[in-house]
Amino acid sequence: MKVYMKPVKMVAWFTENGVPTPVRFQMKEDDKEFLTIKVGNISERKEEKLAGNRMLIYRCQSEIEGTEKVYELKYEIGTCKWYLYKI
Amino acid sequence: MFLHILNYVFTEHTFGIIILLQGEKMMEDRIIFHIDANSAFLSWSAVNALQHGAPVDFREVPSIVGGNQATRHGIVLAKSIPAKKYGIQTGEPIIQARQKCPSLLVIPPEYYVYMRCNAAMCDIVKDFSDRIQVFSIDEVFVDYTGMEKILGDAQAVAHQIKDRIKNELGFTVSVGISSNKLLAKMASDLKKPDAVTTLYRDEIEEKMWVLPVRDLYMVGAATEKKLAKMGIYSIGDLANSEVEFLKDKLMSWGEVIWCFANGIEDSPVKPGGAIPYVKGVGNSCTIHFDVEDRETAHKVLLSLVETVGMRLRQGAFCAKLVQVSVKTSELKTYSHQRKFYVPTDCTNAIFEEACRLFDEVWKGEPIRHLGVRVSELCGNDFVQLSLLENNYEKQRQVDRAVDDIRIKFGSFSVFRAGFLHSRLSPLQGGIVEDFPAMTSIL
Ligand SMILES: [Mg+2]
Repeated sequence: MKVYMKPVKMVAWFTENGVPTPVRFQMKEDDKEFLTIKVGNISERKEEKLAGNRMLIYRCQSEIEGTEKVYELKYEIGTCKWYLYKI
Repeated sequence: MFLHILNYVFTEHTFGIIILLQGEKMMEDRIIFHIDANSAFLSWSAVNALQHGAPVDFREVPSIVGGNQATRHGIVLAKSIPAKKYGIQTGEPIIQARQKCPSLLVIPPEYYVYMRCNAAMCDIVKDFSDRIQVFSIDEVFVDYTGMEKILGDAQAVAHQIKDRIKNELGFTVSVGISSNKLLAKMASDLKKPDAVTTLYRDEIEEKMWVLPVRDLYMVGAATEKKLAKMGIYSIGDLANSEVEFLKDKLMSWGEVIWCFANGIEDSPVKPGGAIPYVKGVGNSCTIHFDVEDRETAHKVLLSLVETVGMRLRQGAFCAKLVQVSVKTSELKTYSHQRKFYVPTDCTNAIFEEACRLFDEVWKGEPIRHLGVRVSELCGNDFVQLSLLENNYEKQRQVDRAVDDIRIKFGSFSVFRAGFLHSRLSPLQGGIVEDFPAMTSIL
């Protein structure tokens, strides 16, 4: 995995306690069409607070363009933005 | 927690006795931490950038945080260790720094990041004591007295704080431990980055007296020069001088620095401290005629500084950075800034520096708009004990008296004679930047 860190469009569900789980996201590389990815297995969740900024990190696995890939999503709580962090 | 309740019970029932005991114990038996973020602005921006996917760690390449690249007169506010190797110094103009290192990375200041880091740092520290004082945006004092019975040895806890900040927040701090705020502050400076250092009274001789006198907090260039003439070069030389002799030469200021050199200082850790929530105090005005001479421009600066100084003093702040900005009648803007070696809240000191900055930058065009702004605020704890270089002490008394009169009888009840028969207003309203809610405090 390499650091990619680009914002993505996200569908997520939140528990009554405010815990979000990513469900499906869309990413777009410069000259390509939007690519919709269904979030498969989430193997790890952690929270970081670097420089006082809270972010949730999810390690996930999905089929992307025919191959199984492991990647990480980040949710920035302060801005409500989702990022494809590493792929 | 546990201790709060205990404390409360004690003070309720044996109030008088506790006060007496504390009065006696205070000087020697307190445990004070000073926690100082290492190259704060730079490492905070670096961590924030990394978290958002930056390919490089600013701390590992020659880089600086510098005010506003658009105005060519920005100065270096913080530098990375690799930048230091090029001889780049805090406070020097950015153009000069670029000449020393052409590949230098210049990062604009990001105050919202700094405030978030400060708050996160305080949150961690609050797990270890309820008595903390935010002294500046990257410095916190902690009164750990009494907590050792619950949380354990001071040094071990200092390491815990330091490591938690490093692991959770991603930046390093230096912690100083002693029995008062001044020594704790001196201690955190002894070893950095990422270190814990003690400087108790019985360690002063070995750890502090060997340092040049300039390293003593609050001793600036002017005092250093005077002391050199008396044959005082190290902090130890100063500590072992006759206090009467120093008082004779430097008046009460002599006694203050003699006390500091001997590690004598007993100000309490004041909880609260609103410092980081205000990034600066600025004031500017558009003049209703074009200013074409230096003298009038200086008068306008004075009218601006009068309010800036008053706001600073009301907030119990001192400032480390002054900036002057000029807009010409053709709407060209430029600005110029400089750091004080010793933080100040004195109207005249700020005014003198503002004039010097103005003179250096003004090219003689007609002026439409002038601004003065001070930032990099810190508490005035050590300043209050007396002050300052260049015999500012008297001026401070005047400042205080004038503030009192103005608060009681109105802003225009007293003003400088230079404004008599002039077309200028003797003082201009001050604005506290960015956080309008704070105006009630300032
Ligand atoms: Mg610092």
